[in-house]
Amino acid sequence: MSGVLLFVEPGDELSLQALSLAHRLGDVRAVSVDGVYAPAAWAEAIAAAAEGADAIVAAGSDRGNELLAHVAARLDQPFAANVTAIDGDLVTRVRWGGSLLEEARLHGTPRILSVAPHTQPAAEAVTAEQLTVDTEGAVRVLETVSESTGGISLRDAKVVVSGGRGVGSAEAFAIIEELAGLLGGAVGCSRVVTSAGWRPHADQVGQTGTKISADLYVACGISGATQHIAGAKGAKKILAINTDPEAPIFASADYAVIGDLHEVVPAISAELRRVRGS
Amino acid sequence: MRRAKPNDRPVDVGRRVQNEVEIVLGQRKLLQRLVPGLMHAFIFWGFLVLFPTIVMAMIAAVDKHAELPWLGHQTWFGWMVDLFIVLVLVGIVTAVFIRKVVRPARFDGSHRGEADVILLLIAGVVVTLLCWHAAAHAAGLNDHVGPLSALLAKAFPSHGHAERVFVWAHLAVVLGFLRYLPHSKHLHIATAGINVWLARTSRPGRLEPLRFDVPDAELRFGAATIFDLTKKEVMDGFSCTECGRCQDACPAYATGKILSPKLLIMGIRDQVFAQSTEPIVGNGVPEEMIWDCVTCGACVEACPVSIEHIDHIVDLRRSRVMVDSAFPAEAEPMLRDVERTGNPWGKPQTERAAWAEALGVRVLEPGDPAPEYLYWVGCAASFDERAKKSAESTAKLLQKAGVDFAILGPRESCTGDPARRMGNEYVFQAHAEQNVATLKENNVQKIVASCPHCFNTLANEYGDFGGNYEVLHHTELLAQLVEDGRLQPAAGTQSITYHDSCYLARHNDVRMEPRKLLNVIGQPVEMKRSGKQTFCCGAGGAHMWMEERGTQINVERAREATETGAETLAVACPFCTVMLDDGVRETGATMRVADVSTLLAESLD
Repeated sequence: MSGVLLFVEPGDELSLQALSLAHRLGDVRAVSVDGVYAPAAWAEAIAAAAEGADAIVAAGSDRGNELLAHVAARLDQPFAANVTAIDGDLVTRVRWGGSLLEEARLHGTPRILSVAPHTQPAAEAVTAEQLTVDTEGAVRVLETVSESTGGISLRDAKVVVSGGRGVGSAEAFAIIEELAGLLGGAVGCSRVVTSAGWRPHADQVGQTGTKISADLYVACGISGATQHIAGAKGAKKILAINTDPEAPIFASADYAVIGDLHEVVPAISAELRRVRGS
Repeated sequence: MRRAKPNDRPVDVGRRVQNEVEIVLGQRKLLQRLVPGLMHAFIFWGFLVLFPTIVMAMIAAVDKHAELPWLGHQTWFGWMVDLFIVLVLVGIVTAVFIRKVVRPARFDGSHRGEADVILLLIAGVVVTLLCWHAAAHAAGLNDHVGPLSALLAKAFPSHGHAERVFVWAHLAVVLGFLRYLPHSKHLHIATAGINVWLARTSRPGRLEPLRFDVPDAELRFGAATIFDLTKKEVMDGFSCTECGRCQDACPAYATGKILSPKLLIMGIRDQVFAQSTEPIVGNGVPEEMIWDCVTCGACVEACPVSIEHIDHIVDLRRSRVMVDSAFPAEAEPMLRDVERTGNPWGKPQTERAAWAEALGVRVLEPGDPAPEYLYWVGCAASFDERAKKSAESTAKLLQKAGVDFAILGPRESCTGDPARRMGNEYVFQAHAEQNVATLKENNVQKIVASCPHCFNTLANEYGDFGGNYEVLHHTELLAQLVEDGRLQPAAGTQSITYHDSCYLARHNDVRMEPRKLLNVIGQPVEMKRSGKQTFCCGAGGAHMWMEERGTQINVERAREATETGAETLAVACPFCTVMLDDGVRETGATMRVADVSTLLAESLD
């Protein structure tokens, strides 16, 4: 066949955007794959389906880029990722996190390219043909295990209760854990705490740790260095508990309690228990 | 060497001759440590003075009655020879004492056996020389010897056989020494002078730019293998004597990191000797080593033969970041935020001037005429709650002194320093070009910067991108205003110890101005390591955005500060402020950490 082979993911907005660029390259044959994601095996199926096509296109999502990288390697052809425009073999692509637009020549048959997200209007959805994939012997995801000990990942938790230097010791984190448990949240901490070895680095909230996106962030005994705030600013509301009224954390906090966390945190936990009648 | 990349450095003969005189002839760097310095100076000066005696010995070996014209029959030279034989021997005894008895840790990892052979050979050279002179005098062949040779001559027979034995013995040892030289670290006697000549003549804080506008064949993305090294970098390896002064000064090494600047240079040199085509990182140099560096420059400052360790570190990082995209994952948000939002914490640029609103500081719009001084606030003092205090204090002081100044507000962007020190030259150059263009829009000539890292970049590095300004650090301008009587601080009694920022004191030689201010407003006490010998706070080289393993540099430095017993720890850098404030808390002490500008502002309230 000639024309364009497009990989789409059902219900994916970025795939529809890729479709509108693909339309401009020729007749589009849309394909998708069902089942467990196995990049090498999926790429093999896509490469086989693309026999004779003069372009292979996918959305510039993590998955689209990964699949096309596999396809390109399999066909031993070059691959242009995050393309915004194409004219013959001249492509414009996004580099360096969006700060640079690069014009490049894409040699290779078929032309393999992914479409930079949000650079094209979404096209009308088309029916995609299901490819069958032989996942025998391919890499497959068997299980997804969360890193967080409490079962709730710091990144996705709705509530994060964090402790800083003010907590004082690894053992004293028991009251932080208790409050996090009652709120169904995850435990976080500041850099000082991981440096002191009280908590693992996986629990660290901040620029060099995890950036959270909770509805509520409770910062206990954390002074609020810019490094820390950079990781906590994704939270919708911040409650800060600190003995020092001058602590920088209060500049970013929605609610402030000036007091000793060793009294305040157990009091909150006790009140929660009382309200819930347990 | 022929395949090494060229160094694009200015000719600057005057400065290079001065370096040769001071660093080579004057042994300035070596004499930073008095006893080992004198030990080396005696041997080095001895070799300069004794060099003609090798020629004399060669002549005498052929014809024992022949003499070097003029110098061969100067009695004063005979005395000089005796004097320096003694000094060289004193040097050797001292060296042996240092190596065998004192055994300083700076030699850890050096080839100690080689040093022993070399010392033995040097001793052999001067002892055979002395014996030859004495024997020649005894045989009546040399009347111009010094008193020591004359005295020793009494022990030699008057027939000439002993003279023959020792002149040949002397030459044999000298030739043996020359034969051993190229295979040993002692090669530095041939290379050190060249290396000092090639060293940068700009301020040490300046990194040399990678050129992206050159033909593909000349493109260089730092150093992956030894064939990417510059000539100077190759020469650095050949010049290293493994003395370990760099290792001794290194804050990363002192806090138990893998990095030793000495082992870094030795590792690269080993790769060069082996002509290895393997990547340097992972073979000659462990990966962690290049990320441990805080670019404080203590190693460069300490090195007696002008090795520029930071260039190696940055070139290796450049290749890892720009070619392999392999670097500590925790630094990735910083690079992304600098790139996307213009500051390393991803704060909205619109909030950059928020601190200045209440003070009524003028924010320059494009096309506005330039103020006398553009106040370059920097990201830390714009966004960090603790560091903001220094910006507020500086602005208040400038207002009080009636200085015409303004800020760029949202148009100011990260200078690119942390990205550049991480090895991401692309992001740095993009920011440099953008900032130079912004400053041009307002025809800015004079800049006062609050952050030593911005200061260094603006003053030393933006010139490569068409931005040439007169740049002062805020402590420099404030000291000038106090001197001119435009600010009149009240004398104070609080005891203050001052922490020199690496990028001020060592990289740019700004040491006196902050002290002048502190001398007026308090009672300064010095820390053990100060001035150009300062010890880093741990944040440089983009380490503000990396995790530190093991003992923390800032805690180590804070401990040293608290040992002075001072009430206040004065700093002049927003990163030092944050790092040392954390460090002091960690030690449990109650010492206050404050910027010099804040302390000055308080003395005027």
